[in-house]
This record gives sequence, structure tokens and C-alpha cells, in this order.
Amino acid sequence: MNVVQINDLMYTYPGAAQPTLRHLSLEVEQGDFLAIVGNNGCGKSTLCKALNGLIPHFIAGDFSGQVLIDGVDTRESDVGELARKVGYVYQDFENQIVRPTVLDDASYSCLNYAYPDYLERGRTALAQCGLEGREEEYIWQLSGGQTHLLALAGAVSLGPDVLILDEPIAQLDPMHADRIYEVLRELNARHGKTIIVIEHHTEYIADYCKHVLLLKDGQVKWKKPTDQALQCVEELQACNIFPPQVTQAAYQMKRLGCICTAERLPTTVEQGKKMFSQLRFHAPAVLPCEQNAQPETVVSFRDVSMSYRSVKGDPRTVFDRLNLDIRKGEKIALIGSNGAGKSTLMKMMVGLLRPAQGTVSLFGESIADKKAEDLSRQISLVYQNPEEMFIQDSIYADIAYAMKVRGIPDWDKRTEALLARFRLSELADRDGRLMSGGQMRRASLAIGVALNPGVLLLDEPTANLDIATRREIMTVLEDMKDIIQTAVIATHDMQLVCQWADRIIVLCGGTVVADGTRDEVFSRADLAERVGIRPPEIFTMAKALEPQALCYTIDEFTDCFREER
Amino acid sequence: MERLSDKLSENILSKFSMDFLRNQVLKNAYGNDDTVIAALDPRILLAWYLFFGLVPWFVNELPFLLGCFLLVMVTTILARVAGLVLFLFALGVFSQTGYLFLVTLLFGGDASAVMPLLILTLKVATISLASVTVFSGLDPDRLSNGLMWYGCPERLSFSISYAYRMLPMLMEEFQNVLLSYRLRGNPPAHETLRGKVRYLIYQVKIIMQSFYPLMLNTAKRSRTTVEALELRGYRYAAVNQTVKRMKLAALKVSYNDFLFLAISFLCVALSVLCCTLF
Repeated sequence: MNVVQINDLMYTYPGAAQPTLRHLSLEVEQGDFLAIVGNNGCGKSTLCKALNGLIPHFIAGDFSGQVLIDGVDTRESDVGELARKVGYVYQDFENQIVRPTVLDDASYSCLNYAYPDYLERGRTALAQCGLEGREEEYIWQLSGGQTHLLALAGAVSLGPDVLILDEPIAQLDPMHADRIYEVLRELNARHGKTIIVIEHHTEYIADYCKHVLLLKDGQVKWKKPTDQALQCVEELQACNIFPPQVTQAAYQMKRLGCICTAERLPTTVEQGKKMFSQLRFHAPAVLPCEQNAQPETVVSFRDVSMSYRSVKGDPRTVFDRLNLDIRKGEKIALIGSNGAGKSTLMKMMVGLLRPAQGTVSLFGESIADKKAEDLSRQISLVYQNPEEMFIQDSIYADIAYAMKVRGIPDWDKRTEALLARFRLSELADRDGRLMSGGQMRRASLAIGVALNPGVLLLDEPTANLDIATRREIMTVLEDMKDIIQTAVIATHDMQLVCQWADRIIVLCGGTVVADGTRDEVFSRADLAERVGIRPPEIFTMAKALEPQALCYTIDEFTDCFREER
Repeated sequence: MERLSDKLSENILSKFSMDFLRNQVLKNAYGNDDTVIAALDPRILLAWYLFFGLVPWFVNELPFLLGCFLLVMVTTILARVAGLVLFLFALGVFSQTGYLFLVTLLFGGDASAVMPLLILTLKVATISLASVTVFSGLDPDRLSNGLMWYGCPERLSFSISYAYRMLPMLMEEFQNVLLSYRLRGNPPAHETLRGKVRYLIYQVKIIMQSFYPLMLNTAKRSRTTVEALELRGYRYAAVNQTVKRMKLAALKVSYNDFLFLAISFLCVALSVLCCTLF
């Protein structure tokens, strides 16, 4: 039976010239696990809002056609009724949580719809979402992944048949992302919920979803079973969707004629093992390591301890006697799960947080008695959330601000140059907040390098971006390498780590558990288990074929595995 | 003097940090939910507050005021109110009356002014401490439920608990915006006293300027919240009497509440007795 049926849906936002959804027809079966993919602005979120009745009941606009949820026409129903049939989790899910404690929030909807057993329903939903035992906690005690599960529990508590999630794992580290998808699989398989996700991470689609829906320009291009859908490499890439790395590698090899088989392209590592089993491994020529004299130390941590005040009980220790050196010219990636202390480490370097014990020094001088303002020429921090860096009403003014107040000669010319470099010249007068995710990120990078700092710190520069924008930012970062000397990136994005960094520092529980090149870090099996970092899929694929292989990109993979036996 | 002004300009941004403020606010709201006061029924506490918040204004007998003051002092201690709130309270009360006393002396008054000022101070202190006990001793949810029972609109009680849910986030964001100003700004040199004054003014200025981006960011984020509230049935609940009854069903008057009222009554009665005796 179809739980969702859409017939010839047309929808235009109020004031918009073009319809966002045009002649859209769709059927979703009960119990499906559907991924919706498509370009930015192809109408994915709009479609989801049409399913839960926000369109047309809450957001007006031109609406024609028919949306049936479980046989009920959304226009003849109302938002409250539909909320009990369709649960929705936003991309910015933390804004969806309105109550201070976990159980309170999970049962809030049920209370509002006057279910007498609202607390019981809240508890059940929490259990289904894997949050048992946290009922009494306050929401700011939860990690990002747990907050997302709570938002999900809030939707699940009303017992809807359909659950819609908008980019559920965009902000999460791989461990938390797996957790979310495991919970979703459980809800789908055990409790019979129909799950619809908007998702860019095709690796997760391959592992968990049953069907894929490709949207293009507000229309359904096709809906196919997952393994068929991911075969359409060209079509997906045309929409800026990148199939799993294993699929891309196989596709590239097939095109080059390295493998000639009529078989389907593999979409998971398991399938890849079969497909690539005929290939032989050629160790790449190892470049001789340049043994330079050690360059000067730029930042050093000596016996640094740091803890946060907590609302109740003892302070929470983040670092206990940490020692770390960062040398000139290094490109460092700082990795570790949510809450491992990455942001804290960065804030200590710019003097925003003072260590309780020990010293942090910058260019050989302790920063203990310096003010944050005085350090800004030497070191600069780009926040995870670019909106917090926009303090003026246009990005031109934002980029110029630091140079202008310091009276740097030719600040206006330099600003123009930076705008051009980050391809923002046309947007110079816009308020940063009103730009797209990628533009905001580029603007924040431009602000970060404005003063030509000796050390640049970037906190999660690719979080919350779709894959196409992420690639774009990665190109920008690559491009920036020659204008910045030393840079540190805190990130969960292992593709970025592998392509960009020459030194990787792994933090876990406030200590450095690994520190070295990508080969040294990723070849250690114990780390993956202990810290929950995961190399890119293609690395795992290569390892599965040949334990000695160390491939980080698709190109390296196709170079290493070539002729047939 | 030099050291003091040095410290003052340092303090505003570094020692007295946003982090500290945030922690104190949270502590105040949720850090003391296991105290005697927090366990009392909010309705009883609000009624109690009505007495101690109003009556002292109209009474001028010293023993009575002193009795009330001692009582609310004990309840404040029992409520384990956060340090910052008490500090602000002390600063407010004593700067006010201290200033009045100075002005009295300046315009030819003498030590006889002490008595009326003491009475005024006691009144203000009693009322403030009673407010502190009720409003920071109770956690926001219990407080808003109590208010709802007395017929305050649902919207008000929702706002109170929502504000507390948002405050930590807002303060963190405010802190970051402020840091943006600090990191990118170029503060005036502050070696001389003149420079220090200018530095202080600069700091106050950027604190004020930081509110502008904060408000825009909040406006942006509230779009999702508004839609989510709609989905989560907020509007239904506001007009539904059953929901209100369900929310208030958790309120129960217990033995402790009567004990609390009885002790308060005894204190007041004793102080009234003292008034008539002396």
C-alpha cells in the first residue's frame, strides 16, 4: 500500500516567479527507506514540507495537484492531524528542541495533543531512539548526535507512519552518523516506519536505503532501487551527487578499460571485493622523504591542563598535562570525535581560553599575559559557524574591518583583492547571513586571512555543506596553501584530511593518541576502534584487497590496482 | 588606584567572562533543584511571596522588618542561590542606601538619618531576597506552572521556560560574536590612565555592537523554531483546557509546604509580638 501518493503537484512560493515543484508525481510504499537526492534548490525541502502539511497550511503560495498521506488529502486535513502521520526532523535540528530537559522535550508534542499517557510515550520514543537513561538530563549536556536523536524522538513520540529527515548526518562525526542510521534502520525494520531522508552521503545511501529518488528542477527524474540508482554515475554527477567512492573507482576503471565486465558497478566495499578481486596491486614508487632540519616551532603547549565549569558537581577536565608542538609550514589536521577537545585547543591558541596550568606559547613567547587583540596579527581563527564572524552589514565591510581599524595601508585594495580571490566580488554589498552555505564559508575564510596571520586555524570548514559545496571549499583550501604558512584544521571530514594535511593529530579524551603522517595514522587499526575515526571508503577498499595498500583518493586507487592477472 | 583601574578594565572582558556568566545563569536556573525550597509547591511559594513582597512596604516597625529580613535570609540560604545573583543584590541595595546616606550628609543631615535609612534598606532587602528565593530557588518550569495555575496566560509560562532553554545558546553565540570584535578590532593603547578610560569605553562599545549580529542570527534561527512549534502542536495546546489540566496535574501540596507556611507564620507572629511589646 502507498503511504504517500502525490499526483501532479505544482507549488510556487509566495512572490516567486517560477514554481519550485512542477508536475510532481510520486508514490512511496509503506515500509520503504527512501533517499531523496538532487541539486541545491531542486525542491527537496519543499517536497518534504508539502508532505507534512506545512505547505499549504502554514506557508501559503500557489498549490495545485494532490498530496495523499495514508489516503488523506493534505488540503482537507490540518497540520496537527498530519503531524501525527508524518514526523519531520529539520537540518538545523537544535532549533526544533524547545524544552530544557530530555524527557520533557520528547513528550512535549504528545502533551500538546493531549495524550494522557504523554510521559510514557516520550519514554518509549526515547528508548526507540537509543536515549534510555538520559531522560532527566538537560539538553545542553547532550552531544550533537544525541541532540539529533532527541529531535527524532520528539517526532517519533507521536507515532507517525512516515519519518522525514533533512540531512541527518551533516554535522556529525562518523560514529554518531552510524548511530543515527542504525536507529533509523531499526525504526524501519522493527517498527515498520517509512523513512524518507534527504541525503548527500551516498555511502550511507548504499548501506541503508532501499530506494533513491532523483529530483531535478522540481520534478522527479526517476525513482529506482538503490543499487540500480547508484549505477547512474554520469546522471548523478550532472546533479552534483557523487556516488560512493568504490562505485566511482569502478566506473573510472571501466572507462579506462582496466576492467571489462558487463557486471553492475559495486556500491559497497563488500561488492567491491568481488569486482576488484582480479586486479593486481602495484606499489607506487615511494618518493624519498625529505629530511629537512626541523623548522622553528610556532605554537607549543607545555603541560597544559584545562577544565570547564559545570552547572553541578566537579568541573569537567578537557586536557590534563598536554604537550604539543606545531612547526612552521605544517598543514595539520586535528581529528577526534565530538567533544574530544578540538575547539578548546584552538581557542587556547588564540588566547580566548586560558589554561588552568601550563603554558601556551606562540612564536616562542608565552601568551599568558597577552590580550587576544594583540595576537590577531600572528594567529587567526575561523569559526565553525560563519554567521558568528559577520559583525558588519556587508561582507566587504567585514573583510575590511580588521585592516581598516589597524590603518593598514591600501586596505581597500587588499579587500578588493581578497574579494576577487574568493570569488565574492559580486556579493560585496550583501549581508553575510543572507548568502548560501558555500558563499558564507568563503567569506569567513577571506575574513580569516585578511591580516595575513602566521598561523590560521579553521574549525570544521566543511561541516554542514552539501558535497558539491564541500568540494568547492576543498579547492579553495588547496588554493590557500600558498598564502598561509601554517594552518590547523579541526574536522571530521576524512577526505579533506587525506587530501590536504601533511600531519594528522588525533585527540581522544584530552590526550594526543596519534600524531604523524596519514600513512602512520590510518594504518593503525587500534585507532579506528578507539577513537572512531574512519578513513575514506576507498582506503578501506584498497586495504580489503591488499593489506599493504595505502590509497587515499580514487586516482591513487586506479593507479595502484591495474592490470588483470 | 593604578592597580584598581587596571584590574577594572581587565575584568570587564577577561575575568568576568561570558563563560562565567553563562555558568552562573544555568546554575541559578537548574543547579539547585534538590534544595528544600525547590521541592515546595510553586503555588504556595508564590502566595508566600505575595505577602513578603508587599507587606514590608507598608510597615515601619523595626522588629517586624528585622524578623521578616531574617526569615527571607534563611530561605535564600536554603535555596542555594548562585553567587552572582547575591553579589548583584548586595551591590544594588548597599550602593543605593549608601548613596542616599552620603547625599544626606552632604546637604547638612547628621547621624539621625541612619535610622530611617536602615528601615528603607531593610524593606528593600527583604523584598529583594524574597524575590530571589522564589524566582531563582524554583526551576523555571515549576515557576511557570505555578503562574499558570494562578491564571497567567500559557504564552507567558511558555516564554519563561523557552527563554531558559535558549539562554545558554544565545550567550555562547554572543560570546563568539564578541570574540570576533575582539580578535579583529584594534583597541586603543591602555598604558596611561587616559588610555585605560578609553579602553573601557571601547569595550563597552563593542559589547553593545555585538547585539546587532546576535539579533540577526537569532531571527534567522527562529524560522525553524516557529515551524517546529506548529508541528509540535503548540497552538493546539494553547487553547485546549485538557492540556492545561494535564500540565498542572503534577502540582501537589505536601506536608512540607504546610510546615514551611507554619514556620513563616510563626516568625511573622513573633515579630509582630515584639512590635507590640517594645
